[in-house]
Amino acid sequence: MKVTIPHMGNVYIAAKALFEGLGVDYVIPPLNSRAALEIGSLHSPEEICLPFKILVGNYIQAIEQGADTVIVTGSCGPCRFGEYSEMHMKLLRRLGYKVDFIVIDAPKSIGFKELLARISRLTAHSPGTKGRKWLALAQAVRIMGLLDAVEAKAHEKAGYEKVRGTCKNLLKKCRQEAYSCGSPDKMLDCLNGYNRMMNEVPCDRTVTPLKIAIIGEIYTVIEPFSNLYIEDKLMDRGISTRRLMTPSWWIRNTLLSPAGLNSPGIKTASRDYLPYYIGGHARECVGEAILSWKSGFDGAIQIFPMGCMPEIVSKAILPTIARDKDFPILSLVVDEMTGEAGYVTRIEAFVDMLERRRNHVVSGY
Amino acid sequence: MKVGIPRGLLYDQFHPFFTRFFTELGAELVISPQTNKSILDAGVQYCVDEACLPVKVFHGHVCHLRDRCDLVFIPRIMQLYKGEYICPKFCGLPEMVTNSIPGLPEVISHPVYATTMARLRQWAMASACPITRDRRRVKSALEAAVDEQSRFRTGYHDQGYPIKVALAGHPYNLYDTFINMNIKKKLNNLGVGVITEEFAGGEDTAQEVRALFKKPFWTFARKTYGFIAALASKKHVQGVVYISSFACGIDSVIIELVRDRIKDFPMLVLKIDEHTGEAGVDTRVEAFADMLERSCKHESDHSPYGQCLYSCKSPV
Ligand code: SF4
Ligand code: SF4
Repeated sequence: MKVTIPHMGNVYIAAKALFEGLGVDYVIPPLNSRAALEIGSLHSPEEICLPFKILVGNYIQAIEQGADTVIVTGSCGPCRFGEYSEMHMKLLRRLGYKVDFIVIDAPKSIGFKELLARISRLTAHSPGTKGRKWLALAQAVRIMGLLDAVEAKAHEKAGYEKVRGTCKNLLKKCRQEAYSCGSPDKMLDCLNGYNRMMNEVPCDRTVTPLKIAIIGEIYTVIEPFSNLYIEDKLMDRGISTRRLMTPSWWIRNTLLSPAGLNSPGIKTASRDYLPYYIGGHARECVGEAILSWKSGFDGAIQIFPMGCMPEIVSKAILPTIARDKDFPILSLVVDEMTGEAGYVTRIEAFVDMLERRRNHVVSGY
Repeated sequence: MKVGIPRGLLYDQFHPFFTRFFTELGAELVISPQTNKSILDAGVQYCVDEACLPVKVFHGHVCHLRDRCDLVFIPRIMQLYKGEYICPKFCGLPEMVTNSIPGLPEVISHPVYATTMARLRQWAMASACPITRDRRRVKSALEAAVDEQSRFRTGYHDQGYPIKVALAGHPYNLYDTFINMNIKKKLNNLGVGVITEEFAGGEDTAQEVRALFKKPFWTFARKTYGFIAALASKKHVQGVVYISSFACGIDSVIIELVRDRIKDFPMLVLKIDEHTGEAGVDTRVEAFADMLERSCKHESDHSPYGQCLYSCKSPV
């Protein structure tokens, strides 16, 4: 058995640690690129959302490198993501690829026994003891947390750093170096080191850079390829950004939501505008818009794939928030046709507008 | 008290319930007219660009009611069956509408869970609040409404046509003759009869659904997939006509699952949005009917190769 996982931001680094800790054979597909997207779009139904297409690209590229088992999380709607695994399986089978899927679904929908059975299909191939397996899992979660923390710090500090580009370079080095570590222990050390270095990046806290929140559909905000590296672009301009959606947030949210303890802040913040969970992460999107306004951000950018149902609902709501709170929000829709030029122009125009607002303190734009 | 009821989305399926309920409460009803050009235009103007046509049309209906009533009823249908959903846009429909159309009167938008009577009662109590506080009256209104709905039937089942196709899609795409340019009439005129999912329930459908790796969690997906798969595999019909909205996330999944199941069985997928021209639809429907007619003849001629020569993949 040779397992693989689809890409989503830095998840591949933690996944590598997990597989190494478990001692199972694995393939990490090549990082997302035009090639993956092209393969995916070629084989996917035209109207499906962008993440689906990129995932198909990842799978095929991984299979070509010898992977025979895909590990992916499931969900039970109400959004399309819950149907992904079934469609992916059928699509790959139709294309003649022999590949197994291990779908890690919520116990609520498949039952606890089935969940354990699915997990044991993965761990059965691991030579280690039970304790080793738990350790591997704990380390992978810890690594994900550290990666998210380092990334968040870099995005925040990009507005304050004394030498423009320090944070971006450090972040890039951190990813590369962590990925090339030979064992989970070494990876943890390496990340702790970078975390410390990131804390020590020389900053000038007297400046007041623009602060922008990145909100929207979870895959497109986390996976930089799908949003055309928007966070890097903003870092280059010395803008401080924040994004709540991270893989670690997702893990926490999924574990806590059966008990109703997930993201209390979001729930309160979104109550006036979207009091129900409608699927996807629309409610988080609306809640984050409010929260970032409250914490003094200059604006927010919403990103979602073409045709994304929950985010279309939030897109309808965001203009009201923008008006009520006098808080500019830009909505960007991405799909495989998104051209870099037009996209960048819109971001630049938005940033310029935020800067002008700062300078003149104009009300209403 | 005038309550406005928009004739959009699931109105065609559930109007007996909603109209009876509000009438019993003593409200005067204002119902928007059949979808027409001006309703569509208003919808397109106010609704977010990315939304699908039925949601835009719904916005148009609400817009029509804006100055004609004291309360607008926007159903927030969350669940019709246990463990299944409709569509994220249905759950957020009231927010979409109220944030897009300015100057609306008060809105009734309590979530509807039609899974148990108790949950329906919760909905009824909350929704009746602005009209009456008489609990007994609300209770009897709800009972009358449920009764009325249970006697109501929709669906087509044409008899006496040489060719029969399964007409599939969301109810509002099937029954709003303005949205679908009266597709049923077009087909009938070409000598093609239709059957809809209401007339093909039962064990076959359920069995098809069970064969999936994962039970679909959308009501639309479960019903439509089961319907098409059952009829096509049993060859009860000669073809499938699927009416779908552009940018409908649910249809994109259903169509993919169906295609995988029925393979080369003839299926015409008509995707509609506000830019769809009638002429183009006519051409495609005619070509499809033609193809079905020819392949039917072939089958009765006993094609020497023992296979259908004209099975076609839909061009969409
Ligand atoms: S949330 Fe959006 S992108 Fe994600 S599965 Fe649903 S429709 Fe697709
Ligand atoms: S099911 Fe499809 S057509 Fe209906 S509201 Fe949802 S996205 Fe639109």
